[in-house]
Amino acid sequence: MADEAVDVAVIGGGPAGLAAATAAKEHGATNVVIIDRNSWLGGILPQCIHDGFGLEETGASMTGPEYAERYIKMAEKQHVAVMKETMVLQLNRKKEILAVNKQGIHNIRANAIVLAMGCREKTRWHALIPGDRPSGIFTAGVAQAFINLYNIMPGKNVVILGSGDVGLIMARRLKFEGANVLGVVEILPHASGLPRNVVQCLDDYDIPLFLNHTVTFIKGKERVEQVTIAQVDEHMAPIAGTEQDIICDTLLLSLGLVPENELSKQATIEIDSTTGGPVVNQRLETSVDGIFACGNCLQVYDVVDMLSHDAKKAGKYAARYKPKKPSKKAIPLVLGKGVRQVVPQKMTEAGKTEITMRSEKIQSASTLRVLVKNKEIFKKKLPFVNPANMIKTSIDIDSQIIASGQPLEVMIDD
Amino acid sequence: MKNFQIAIIGGGVIGSAIAWELSRYTVNVAVFEKGSDVASGASKANSGVIHSGINSAPSSLKAKYCVEGNKLFQSIADELHFPIRWIGKFVIAKDEEEVKELKHLQEIGKKNNVQNLEIQDGLHVQKKEKNVRCHAALWVPGAGITEPYNFTIALAENAAENKVSFFLETEVKGMGKEKDFFKLQTNNGSFQAQIIINAAGIHCREIVGMVEEPDFQVYPCRGEYLVLDKNYSSLISSMIYPVPVKEMGVLGVHLTPTIDGNILLGPSAEFINDVEDKKTTKETMKTLFAEAKDIIPILPERAVINAYAGIRCKLASPSKGGWADYRIEQSEITPGLINLLGIESPGLTAAPALAKDIVRMIGESITLKKKKKVKQPIKRKRFIELSKQEQSQLIAQDERWGRIVCRCEHITEKEIIDALSNPLGAKTISAVKYRCRAGMGRCQGGFCTQHIVRIMEEQCRMDIRDIKLRSPRSTLFYNRTREVKHGR
Amino acid sequence: MTERKEITCIVCPIGCKMFITTKGKIIEHIDGCKCKRGAEYATYEALDPRRMLTSSVIVQDGEWPLVSVKSSQPVPKEHVFTVLKEIKKITVTAPVNLGQPLLKNVARTGIDIVATKTVKKR
Repeated sequence: MADEAVDVAVIGGGPAGLAAATAAKEHGATNVVIIDRNSWLGGILPQCIHDGFGLEETGASMTGPEYAERYIKMAEKQHVAVMKETMVLQLNRKKEILAVNKQGIHNIRANAIVLAMGCREKTRWHALIPGDRPSGIFTAGVAQAFINLYNIMPGKNVVILGSGDVGLIMARRLKFEGANVLGVVEILPHASGLPRNVVQCLDDYDIPLFLNHTVTFIKGKERVEQVTIAQVDEHMAPIAGTEQDIICDTLLLSLGLVPENELSKQATIEIDSTTGGPVVNQRLETSVDGIFACGNCLQVYDVVDMLSHDAKKAGKYAARYKPKKPSKKAIPLVLGKGVRQVVPQKMTEAGKTEITMRSEKIQSASTLRVLVKNKEIFKKKLPFVNPANMIKTSIDIDSQIIASGQPLEVMIDD
Repeated sequence: MKNFQIAIIGGGVIGSAIAWELSRYTVNVAVFEKGSDVASGASKANSGVIHSGINSAPSSLKAKYCVEGNKLFQSIADELHFPIRWIGKFVIAKDEEEVKELKHLQEIGKKNNVQNLEIQDGLHVQKKEKNVRCHAALWVPGAGITEPYNFTIALAENAAENKVSFFLETEVKGMGKEKDFFKLQTNNGSFQAQIIINAAGIHCREIVGMVEEPDFQVYPCRGEYLVLDKNYSSLISSMIYPVPVKEMGVLGVHLTPTIDGNILLGPSAEFINDVEDKKTTKETMKTLFAEAKDIIPILPERAVINAYAGIRCKLASPSKGGWADYRIEQSEITPGLINLLGIESPGLTAAPALAKDIVRMIGESITLKKKKKVKQPIKRKRFIELSKQEQSQLIAQDERWGRIVCRCEHITEKEIIDALSNPLGAKTISAVKYRCRAGMGRCQGGFCTQHIVRIMEEQCRMDIRDIKLRSPRSTLFYNRTREVKHGR
Repeated sequence: MTERKEITCIVCPIGCKMFITTKGKIIEHIDGCKCKRGAEYATYEALDPRRMLTSSVIVQDGEWPLVSVKSSQPVPKEHVFTVLKEIKKITVTAPVNLGQPLLKNVARTGIDIVATKTVKKR
C-alpha cells in the first residue's frame, strides 16, 4: 500500500482533466497528478477520429486524437504526474482518494481535487425499449471504440437510434467502413446534432433520417434481426398503425450522455438534477470545500473547446485553493423561462463571470435576460438558440447583489 | 459413440443439482445443454428466492420439495460457496379484507410446517421497512435470496471438477430406446446412456415426445422483470410481496432485493404461444414500475437499469387456473426415462431436495457407490470485498488483480480471466458476467465490454468472430474492419 | 444547362436552407442565405464541394492495431470513396508519428493522407 500527498489530484485524464492539470501547474501547484482508468490519456478523444475539434481555440480543425495529443504534450511540458490504468475506488469529503492499479493500493491525500470523470452513455433501458435481448445492440460510443481502436466491425446492416452528433458521426463512419446504414431514427421533429453533421454524415450519403420516429421493438432470437420504428405524436408517444419493420443486424443507440458522478455522490457532493453534475460556484468549486468539477461530469458539453476553457478555470482555482472559513454568502442562479440548465449554479464573488447554459427549445431571435428581484441587470440578444448548442456569456455582478443574497434569475424569452 | 450410464438433458438448476449429487458417486454422467452455458433458461431468469413454503398447496410435491430444499440450502451454500441471505419476506395487505388472505397464507404455512410466521400491523412493519406503507403484513423469516445463476454454476462446476461431462451448445435432437440403452443424436455427435434424466425445463415435452406420446401439455408462461440500480438498495431490506391479487390487469408486483443490492420488480405472468418468446413488453414494464411505485412512492424512474424475462413451464392451462403439481416420475412406457415435468416456482428452492430424490430413484436401477474423495469447490475471490491487506497481497502476487475492468462493480482483470477459465468451458460475455459480475452495473457493459473482448482476444486467444453474447449464434461482431496479414 | 441545388448551410448552427442556380461553372442565383459567409459557402458547395476525410490504417507491430488518419486537405466529393478505398489497401509498420504522411497524392488528387495519432512499437 502506498500513501501519497499531492497539491492537486485530477480524477480523469480526458480533455477536461488534462486541461485542468496543466492549468493547475501553470498557476503554481507543485505536485499535480492525473489519475485515469485507461492505459491511455485523452479519454474518449483517441476514438473520435473525425475532425472539428479545436476550431475556436486554434482556428484549425483537428481530429480527436490530435486534440488529445496537443493537451498531453502541454501536460508533459508542465511535468504533470500521471497514473494510468488506475481506478479511484473511493473519494471522501476530506479529499482522500483510494485508488488501485497494478502497482497496488494507493491512499492519496490532496489539498484540492478536480473531478473530471466524464460521462457514460444512456442504455437501452433508459428508454425501456421493449423486445428481445439479442446481441448486436451497441451504444454509439462503444461501436465507435470497436471500429476505431480495435479494428472490429460491429455489424453489417445498421439502424441508428438518435441523431445527436455521436449518432450522425457513426452513421458516416459505418458507411465508410462498408456497412449498410439503413437509417437514423430521431424522436424530435429535427435532428439533434449540428446541421454540419446532418449534411456531411447523412445527406452526402443518402442515409435516411426518420424524424418524429422512435424504435418501438427490437426483434432477434440470438442476434438482432429487425427493429420496428413508429411515428410519434406531440407527446413523443408512438402512433399506432405507423409501424414499419426494418430488417437489420445491428442497432446503435445514441440516446444521450449521463455525467459520471458516482464518486461525487460518495463524497456527498450536492448534485444538480438538471445538469446531472455537481452544483458549483464561479470557481467551479463543488459543495465540498476544495473539490472542483469540470468537463462532462459537470455538465455534458457539445464543443470540446468550451469544455477545455472551463476546465482550465477549475485547474487554476484548485491550484490556488486554501482551506477557508465558510463565510461567503452564495447567491443561487435560478432557472427562469426558456432555460434548461445553468452553470455555475451559485455565485460567491462580484465581478465578471462566465456562465454557460442551455435553452429549453429552439428559438430564433430571442433575448437572454438576467434579473434580480425582477429587475433586469443583463440583457443580450441571441439570433438563434438550440438546446443542442451550449450558450456561453459573460455577466458582471456587482458586490451589492452578492451581499443582498437575492437569487439571479436567468431566462430566455422572445 | 460415447457411452454414459446417465445422461441428463438440460443444464439448468435441476440438471446441475442432479449432476452434482451424482458426482459424489463412481458413476459415469453426462449433461447435455443446448445453450452456451449452464442456467441458460428459466434458471437464470427468476427472482432468486428461496421460498418458505407458504405459497405451495399442502401435500403437493411442490410443498414437499420446497420445504425440504429450503432446509438444505444453507449447508449447500456453505459447501459450494455461493452467496445466500436469509432476508425474510413481508406479504403486505393494504386493508382488512386483504388480512384474510394473510391468515389464509399463514394456515397453508402451518400445514407445510413453516416456522415463525407472524402477522404484524402496519406500524410494526414500518419500523423495519420505513419506505413501505401497508395495513398489515405476514412476516416470513424463513425466506431467503441467492443468485440463481451462481447457484447453478457452482453445482455444475463442482460436478465437472468431479468428472461429470458437460456438453455445452449440444442439443439433443433425437432419441431412441434400444434394448438396454438409449441412443441420443445431438448436433455434436451420437451418445449412449442407460438412464435419461429429462431436466429440459420448458422443452421437457419435446424430449418425452422423442420416445413416446406425451400425456401432458406444456403452457409457457412468461414473467418479465425490471432491475433497479444498486444505489437504491436501501429502499427495502426484506422481500415485499403484496397479497396475491385477483383483479384484471393488476400484476401484484413483487419487490425482491438481490445479493448485491439491486432490487428486482416482478415477475409478471402472461401465457404465451412460443416457448422461446422472452421479450419484454412496454405495457408490462410500465405496469411493473407503476405498481412498485404504489408500494414505494419515492421510487424514481431512472432507477431502472435492466429488464429481462423468463418462461415458466406450466402443466395446467390458464382456463384450469394455471396450477398443477410437479411430475417427478419414471416413465411407465419407456423404462429408464426419468422425467421432471412442470418445474416452475418453487423450482430453485426445490432443486437440492429434488436432486436427492432423483439419485434415490436412480439407485433403484444402478448400484451407486460413493466416491472416497471428491474435489472441493473452487471459491472465486471478489476483489472489492476483500480487506485492503488482502487486496495488496493479491496484486503483489499477480498484478492483474490491480487492474479494474468493470468500473460500476469494480471487477478486476484477474476475476475476468478466472471466469473465462471455468471448468465448463463457457466463454461467452454472459459466462463472464454471471461468474464475476462484470457488466451488471448501471452502465450495462458500456465501459467493460471492450476490455473484456480484448482479454478474450489476447489472453484466451479467441477469434473476435467467435465472441458471443450469450447463446450459440449471438455473435457480437461481424468482422474485422481491416484484415490483418499475420499476427494481430 | 441550368441546375438548381438545395444546400443546407453549415457555417453556423442556424443551418439556413439555400437554393443555388448554376449554369455550368457560373453561379446564376443564390436564394435563402442570410449572410456573406453563407453565400461564400454556397458558392464552393455548388461548384467544388469538398470534404475532409478521416479513416484508419492498419498497423503492424504497434501498441494499437490501427492508426487514425486524415486527408491533408478537403477531398473533392466525387473522389471520396476512391480515396477511402486506397486508404484501406495499405499497411504501415510501427512506429507511426502524428503528422507522418502515409500516402502521398492519394488517387492522384494531389492530397496526402497523414497520421493523426502516434502509435509506438509494441
